[in-house]
Amino acid sequence: MSRRARRYRHLIDQALSDVRRQEALHRFGDAYLAARAEAFAGLDFAGLRHDIADMKDTVRNDWPAYLHKFMQQAETSGAKVFLARDAQAANAYIAELAQCHGARLAVKSKSMASEEIALNHGLEAIGVRVVETDLGEWIVQLAGQRPSHMVMPAIHMFRDQVAELFGNLTGQQESEDIAHLVEVARRTLRQEFLNADLGISGANLAVVEDGSLALVTNEGNARLVATIPPVHVVLVGIDKLVPSLEDAVRVLQVLPRSATAQAATSYVTWLRGPAPGREQQRELHIVLLDNGRSKLASSEEGRDAWRCLRCGACANVCPVYQAIGGHVFGHVYVGSIGIVLTAFLHGLEAAAELIQACIGCRSCVEVCPAHIDLEHIILGLRRRLAADEGVGTIKDLVFKRVLRNRRLFHGLLRTAARMQKPLTGNATSIRHLPLFFSSLTEWRTLPAIAPRPLRDLLAEQPTATAPRLRVALFGGCAAEFVLPDIGLALARLLRHFNIELVYPEGQSCCGIPALYAGDAATATELARQNVLALAQTQADAVITVCPTCTSALTRHFPDLLAGDPTLADCATGLAAITRDAAVLLSEQLGNASPVAPTTIAGRVTYHDSCHLRRGSEVYLQPRQVLAAAGWHLTEMAHPDRCCGFGGSYSVLGQPAIARAIAQDKLDDIIATGAEVVAADCPGCLMMLHGLVEKRGLPIRVAHSVELLASSLDDQ
Amino acid sequence: MKTPATLVEQFCQAATRAGALTVRCVSAEAAIAYILRHAGGSIVLPDCPAALQLNLAERLRAQGGKVICGDLFQAAPTAAAGITGANFALADTGTVVLESTAQAVRLASTLPERHFVLLNPHKILPDHMAAVPLLRRLHSRQSPDFIAFITGPSRTADIERVLTIGVHGPRELHILLLDELSDDFLEN
Repeated sequence: MSRRARRYRHLIDQALSDVRRQEALHRFGDAYLAARAEAFAGLDFAGLRHDIADMKDTVRNDWPAYLHKFMQQAETSGAKVFLARDAQAANAYIAELAQCHGARLAVKSKSMASEEIALNHGLEAIGVRVVETDLGEWIVQLAGQRPSHMVMPAIHMFRDQVAELFGNLTGQQESEDIAHLVEVARRTLRQEFLNADLGISGANLAVVEDGSLALVTNEGNARLVATIPPVHVVLVGIDKLVPSLEDAVRVLQVLPRSATAQAATSYVTWLRGPAPGREQQRELHIVLLDNGRSKLASSEEGRDAWRCLRCGACANVCPVYQAIGGHVFGHVYVGSIGIVLTAFLHGLEAAAELIQACIGCRSCVEVCPAHIDLEHIILGLRRRLAADEGVGTIKDLVFKRVLRNRRLFHGLLRTAARMQKPLTGNATSIRHLPLFFSSLTEWRTLPAIAPRPLRDLLAEQPTATAPRLRVALFGGCAAEFVLPDIGLALARLLRHFNIELVYPEGQSCCGIPALYAGDAATATELARQNVLALAQTQADAVITVCPTCTSALTRHFPDLLAGDPTLADCATGLAAITRDAAVLLSEQLGNASPVAPTTIAGRVTYHDSCHLRRGSEVYLQPRQVLAAAGWHLTEMAHPDRCCGFGGSYSVLGQPAIARAIAQDKLDDIIATGAEVVAADCPGCLMMLHGLVEKRGLPIRVAHSVELLASSLDDQ
Repeated sequence: MKTPATLVEQFCQAATRAGALTVRCVSAEAAIAYILRHAGGSIVLPDCPAALQLNLAERLRAQGGKVICGDLFQAAPTAAAGITGANFALADTGTVVLESTAQAVRLASTLPERHFVLLNPHKILPDHMAAVPLLRRLHSRQSPDFIAFITGPSRTADIERVLTIGVHGPRELHILLLDELSDDFLEN
């Protein structure tokens, strides 16, 4: 492990030991989800974000022209406009302006762009005192920290800490009463506003049609920054350009709803030119910041991040953020968009550890109001990082030498099934590992490799006579070598529905582990092998019992093989007929002899796997399957929150974060009182089983396919 | 143009949800009495169309109001109340839209403890999108131009996410609906 990685692990451990903060971030996440749902009620979120993505892409594809027109319009309005290529240029311009006006005191309204370029340092270096006026930002400034959230900078702090900071400033004991603390801020900062020589703010929108700016706040500090000091500097990224006022209003429909679950913030200030002051000679300077944004716009892999509105929703729903907070899961920008912006604005090296800390659950993708596939961009960054730094010696060996060679890979697994006896006894899991591996089994057991793989077991199964349908099963490594019972259960169900099941011999790992680690070459080779194997079956449909494999077949294979003249069409064709088992089964429930048992089987709770819920948008069908199997469903809290598995994330990547996320999931499961927890992903099942078993809980963990199959036995 | 009663109702509900107080006033006298009852001290009053039309300064003073007009820079930071008109309002979010280019209007609406807004209820539009053509006309009419969308009082949740009212701007937003005000959406 590199020194950088070791240092990062240390920061993670520190963050994870702060229980109070973790609890606060969890409470925030829960409250946000509920409030956000209410704020978007009755609105077509999918349509809104589609329109915003389109609008932002239009600007991005032609940004120099939009920028030019904005600059012209803004100058016509009486503003002075400066295009800053990088942080240094922006800082130099603002510092010179401050010096020109003999400024001693600058008041600032919250601006992430100013954090990005470390503007305060630049101004303080030339003797300008800079005072943040957004309450959260001011608290963070007094604490000598940086914001841990884009919208709520001091979300990591508590009232007692704030009272202490304010007390240090006022020289007296300040009460921990929040209303009192806000009053202290009002009183203190009011004086700063009145004495300031320079006002600095960001802007949420720069409207090309008329050169106006929109500033969105709740506290009203941006209004004061724009009203009182004789000079107002607006620092705004060139990605904030929108063509028209209609577009601006469209952004305003989703921005406050996504950021703070408000229909509207208290204030939106529309500013065109320098509003007059006492002597009618105020100045408005607009500093347009590139600083890597043009590079982002031209990056094939990252350009969708140009759409970002800086609402912070991605952090609000992120299980990693809730576990370790924005100081560790962020650089200047935090959360998953923070990973991407850091890579492009501050460099790949600054983002390297963050890139690996994302668990890939796609929660952020689901709520992003600009429809950015953040996971996809982060995977691209991981690929670039792997090209620069490699994927690590062990992974490199496994991917290149083993994974690409199916016979070797499967041969090794069969050998391992025999060799693991000393660790497993005859059990199906590993409860303890020796020596330096022991931390891996401290909080959960690890699954053992099954004595016989699925393909051997299926070969002994009878097949349907005169089948109505022929489907090929893509097993996936976990179902093939660890949990073969799922495949056997599926085989029985398909026989019941009179469907022929074929198991293509040449299929291998779906390649996701390699792809997620950044090894696209291995993933492409595996895509090729699998597409060849599946295509030969001439099946009506391909089904999987692992939603991660589904995402490989439906999304990644067509991508990876797009340039392959012989297999590209084949991959696209297979993607179109690939479905999760639950989808196929829910379709069959209606048109074959009913499976429905006569008695209630018991109480089950269901965990929505990330790749099923958000990768394939499948969540109703497994529930239909459970109902058909006679189970009474008790929904857990956060059914679609990640279980912490994340493939190698929970073993090699970030086991400490995985453990924290997994603990949350287990708590939610236990709270339902259900005797069975079902999921449709072998990865999740291994994680959940490991957790339950280690704790000795009387909860069965099963694939929904297995539960439906056992209901056949009861008939 | 007449605003349907349902739109007025929707506006009042949304504004109330956002923490504003909405008051229907049958006459200018009623509005003036309300302001005097709730001002809580000195009142800053910019030269806005509503103030001029209703002859507000004189009438407030006649009933004992301490009213400050003209250059508000000294008075506004410690004033108890500020009064402005509103160009129009948006029913979907309970927002009042105020052309605030004149510094006095900005000072009266940002600094005092409470902000009284005089709104003609016939100038309520259904939503933000309906405001765009007007925004465009206001922006293109003059430059510089400063327009404020105001929804409820100043608020923060920056300490432990606890909603707290009145951090930098007014702690109270009183929206007085008064028929006899100008029906000019672009009044300045």
